[in-house]
Amino acid sequence: MSLYAWFMALAHSPLGRVMQTSRWGFAVVEMVHLLAMAVLGGSVLIVDLRLLGVILKGESARTLGRDLSRLLAASLLAMVLSGVALLSEEAGKCYFSPAFRWKMALLAAAIVFYFTLHRTALRRADKGTPALWPRIAAVVSLLLWLGVGVAGRAIGLL
Amino acid sequence: MPLLQQACQTLYDSAFGTMLRESNNAFPVIESIHVLSITLVFGTIAVLDLRMLGILLRPISIACVARNVFPLTWSGFAVSLASGFLLFWAEAAKMYSNPAFRAKLVLLALAGLNALIFHGTVYRRVGEWKDLHVPPWRARAAAIASLALWSGVIVAGRAIAYF
Repeated sequence: MSLYAWFMALAHSPLGRVMQTSRWGFAVVEMVHLLAMAVLGGSVLIVDLRLLGVILKGESARTLGRDLSRLLAASLLAMVLSGVALLSEEAGKCYFSPAFRWKMALLAAAIVFYFTLHRTALRRADKGTPALWPRIAAVVSLLLWLGVGVAGRAIGLL
Repeated sequence: MPLLQQACQTLYDSAFGTMLRESNNAFPVIESIHVLSITLVFGTIAVLDLRMLGILLRPISIACVARNVFPLTWSGFAVSLASGFLLFWAEAAKMYSNPAFRAKLVLLALAGLNALIFHGTVYRRVGEWKDLHVPPWRARAAAIASLALWSGVIVAGRAIAYF
């Protein structure tokens, strides 16, 4: 099935029909999406500021990374589920939206980066002032996730 | 017209307010900054609240997490407040009668009150319980209230557009 057909199938699914017809459906789902975004952003920010040596310098980057990864995974799941519901309400618009495509590309990049190179950077940074690679990884991570957020806003505005 | 409503109307009718409201780029950009600043405020305070509930980062003392999180939360709040005030200015007359906006302000005041009470009472003795995995019940109650109230602020904020 082509990508476009998949988007259309989502729009015509029971989820899509509920989201398109209910007055408060989109609003409530978007509220969940926003709350999860804040939690995800908070976990990313704290880990990356640790990698940059700005906060929690005396603490183990590994402990931080491990616990906040769990928080990130939970909030990311909430974002994906609510995101699919939001998508089902306006699948056609999103399919043709450059902002949406950018958001998905940046999201994929952020997720892959987080679970690979970023993870190794955390192990290297464990205690004390971080070396160069952890700092670079932190900046890349912050930029990618910020990009996801900005692109998300652009979907509604462009 | 009540004085407060008159003040809102004056802001709304002002040249600056009108310019913001009619702008192609300024209002959307300020609004985007406001929405993304939620991350700095709620995202960071949520990590502290979760630590206070003993849910994560147990090896790290609560006082240490708090000390590191507060500057971030305050910076985020400054951005939210400034951008929020500008958004309010542009739509002041409509905000006066918007129930979601009123609810948001009430919840914001309560969130602030919760923080004040926490800092003035149980947090004063943090030295006694800062390394505990799970702190005294008053601290946990403050953490739950914080999570609930700030979530409420965000939910009410999103609802503004629907009234």
